[in-house]
Amino acid sequence: MTSTARRSGPARHSGAEAYPGPRQAPAAPRPGPSRRPQARPAPVQPGNRPARVGPRGVLAVIIAGAVAVIALWWHSTPGVHGLGSWLTGAGEILGLLCGYGVVVLVALMARLPPLERGLGTDKLARWHAMGGRYIVSLVVAHGLLIVWGYAVTAHTGVVNETATLLTQYPDVMMATVAGFLLLGVGIISMRAARRRVRYETWYFLHLYTYLAIALAFSHQLAVGASFVSNLAARFWWSAMYLTVLVLVLWYRVAVPLISFRRHRLEVIGVKAEAPGVISIYIGGRRLDELDAEPGQFFRWRFLTRSLWWSSHPFSLSAAPGSDMLRITVKNLGDHSQALARLQPGTRVFAEGPYGAFTPGDSDRGVLLLAGGVGITPLRAIFATLPGHVTLIYRASSERDIVFRDELDAIAAARGATVHYLVGSRAEIGGDPLSPRVLRSLVPDLDEQDAYVCGPAGMTSAAVRALRAAGMPRQRIHSESFEF
Amino acid sequence: MRRVILAVTGTIAGLVALLSFKSHVPSVPVAATTGSGSSSSSSSSSSSTSSSGGQATASGQTTTVPGEFPQGSVAKNLPAGETAVDGNVANTAYGPVQIQLIEKNRKVVKVAVLEQPANTLHDIQIGAFAFPKLISETLAAQNGKIDAVSGASYTSAGYIQSLQSALDKAV
Amino acid sequence: MGTVVSFDVPAGAGEPRGEGSLGQAVRWLHWVDATFSPYRDDSDVSRFGRGSLPLADCAPELAEVLEACAAVSERSGGYFTITPGGKFDPSGYVKGWAIERAAAILTAAGSAEHSVNGGGDVQCVGDRLWRVGIADPLRPGRLALVVAGRDFAVATSGVAERGPHIIDPYTGQPPAGLASLTMVGARLAETDAYTTAAFAMGSAARDWAESLDGHEAFAITAAGATWQTSGFGAYLG
Repeated sequence: MTSTARRSGPARHSGAEAYPGPRQAPAAPRPGPSRRPQARPAPVQPGNRPARVGPRGVLAVIIAGAVAVIALWWHSTPGVHGLGSWLTGAGEILGLLCGYGVVVLVALMARLPPLERGLGTDKLARWHAMGGRYIVSLVVAHGLLIVWGYAVTAHTGVVNETATLLTQYPDVMMATVAGFLLLGVGIISMRAARRRVRYETWYFLHLYTYLAIALAFSHQLAVGASFVSNLAARFWWSAMYLTVLVLVLWYRVAVPLISFRRHRLEVIGVKAEAPGVISIYIGGRRLDELDAEPGQFFRWRFLTRSLWWSSHPFSLSAAPGSDMLRITVKNLGDHSQALARLQPGTRVFAEGPYGAFTPGDSDRGVLLLAGGVGITPLRAIFATLPGHVTLIYRASSERDIVFRDELDAIAAARGATVHYLVGSRAEIGGDPLSPRVLRSLVPDLDEQDAYVCGPAGMTSAAVRALRAAGMPRQRIHSESFEF
Repeated sequence: MRRVILAVTGTIAGLVALLSFKSHVPSVPVAATTGSGSSSSSSSSSSSTSSSGGQATASGQTTTVPGEFPQGSVAKNLPAGETAVDGNVANTAYGPVQIQLIEKNRKVVKVAVLEQPANTLHDIQIGAFAFPKLISETLAAQNGKIDAVSGASYTSAGYIQSLQSALDKAV
Repeated sequence: MGTVVSFDVPAGAGEPRGEGSLGQAVRWLHWVDATFSPYRDDSDVSRFGRGSLPLADCAPELAEVLEACAAVSERSGGYFTITPGGKFDPSGYVKGWAIERAAAILTAAGSAEHSVNGGGDVQCVGDRLWRVGIADPLRPGRLALVVAGRDFAVATSGVAERGPHIIDPYTGQPPAGLASLTMVGARLAETDAYTTAAFAMGSAARDWAESLDGHEAFAITAAGATWQTSGFGAYLG
């Protein structure tokens, strides 16, 4: 399992802090919050993991749905003759695929737990982005083909036919508005545009896709040639939309609200770890019911006047306890500075846990490969994952290394090894993550599982190096922060 | 970029394949011979549809032509007092259209469609929209020109919408 | 009195001599409105009704109307009344009578075929098969039936258009049961008055209409069912 990442959202931040792991003595005292919580990490029970569905399974379901949709067109169509009919037929097929496709896109982003655990948030976001580009193109093509096809059949001009369609066919005007909305959302989601737009702005504009989908729905059943007098088709189509709507409302709205009330997360304290790095301790009730695993992240929303409207993903920097969670944030701007000033007692609205970056039990050894900010989830895993573990930590300068003492302490306590690969390429004289170096550091590389986390470029380079060093593709797991 | 090319070509190829396969199905108009009337068979599939729609064509092939009006002659089994009159076949640009009127006491009580263009999904879609409307308007107009409308007293506002005003305008 | 009157003069049927006759008919209708409208304080009807104008000083047509109304009232067992709701108002007769007279003006001017439609009551003149549609009170914009006849009048009373405006004088309420009632006869004044009376009778209208000479009736009940008198079939088609 490999991944490529592109900058398309806020980067997750991480830092490090001395965390008393399960098998080591507390580190040297540092200034910290007045009460030092004793957290008990909740171990992951093997064989008891929540349901997850893999990428192949999801892809199979999506394709099966598309085939069913095409079969509906096939069944409804007596024949195709002449240019007008061909154009209209193509437009009808694309229209059906679009109506189905938007449902798939929404479902991918519905935060369904099996999808989140099985594919991971970053892969879901990538699929959604790719699919979104495709569907928006299909929507445009559908509109053009239908207008052209109807015009040819009716022996009128395209302009006339457009006017007829807009004014005399039910709900086509709404659907056209919907099409333009989707096109607009597609345009601002293009990489060139997103760089210029703040994340929150882009996010709220993107919500207009829901409106577009709602506007377009009625014309599908009112005008859709395959639905005319096919009650069963109309029923199942509506059922599909209703199901996804319910899922979205449940998992994106209801579940976080229920969780907020049930767990009552609030800030316990904020601790400065190193220059520009802070840890935030968050306490609550019945946190083991969250089923969070080391390596996962939450989307955090701190309910202060300046912070409540933005939600940011930060991964757990320590194994989740039954009454405490901890995240670590690197200072990268206004938002992080506001976090440093969080007062104890601040309520926290957290959605999660998300992320598929969760090693299960394995007989083989595990290699953890961290780059820069990627150390955060890996540190939680390093502290808790049983078995033979090796950590390679790549940073461009000594200053960027965080958790050094703690990592050493963990390694000493559990008999694991930490390798620090520090320095720019110029200093080292080449890429320190070359296959040769990897093999020398980890002799039985081809027998191990690897978990790679870091910035996009570093992650993909590391994955390539691991493959070249002999590690099979399916044993390489990676997660990028940018989605 | 490679994925984009793949997606575009794949989509186009898929569309062309689907449409080509459908273009080999011969177009058999939903036809009935005048006077004798073909029998209406039950719909071939999607039997849960609300509206009727089966028609056995001359070649024995069944096509489902949806709609909410009788398709095919209803000349057989008419109740007493009703007679069926078949109109001429009108050859429109999209195919032939033929209507059958059922009259009682010299008033049209029902309209059946003997022939309508059904070669493509678009034909069917338009027919499903248009025919029920046309039929209800035909029944409302009651086969013919009338000179005046008698109804309960109306105000000038009501007159504008009344049938009388339509007649006055038509003159 | 708030109704709209349409004139239909088919071309080539002995046209009225010049525009003058149509204008004359229209002037007649305006005069009827000025004299007989109960909504105008200064009309003869209103002043007579208040008692401020003796019958002898009113237009002679008023006496004629009153006499005719008395006859209809007696024939209809009191269901036709010139004092609906206690106020003097002979409109139930005047409306049809005015239209009938307007048609007569055109006849006198030389027109052999014409029809005049005032607010839904029609007087057709001429030896030509006039076809008159009857509005469906339960489905606005649609016709229930088409009647055809020569030299005849068609009048309809009902709850459509203006809502229930006919009151059963014995109960003080709008009659229940009928959505509309149409009568066909020779002259509109009498036909219209009989129609108004019959509609007020509700379910008793059928027998009474059957007993009328020279008139046939067709009714649509509030439930959508219809009935007609035995001779009505002659006017169908």
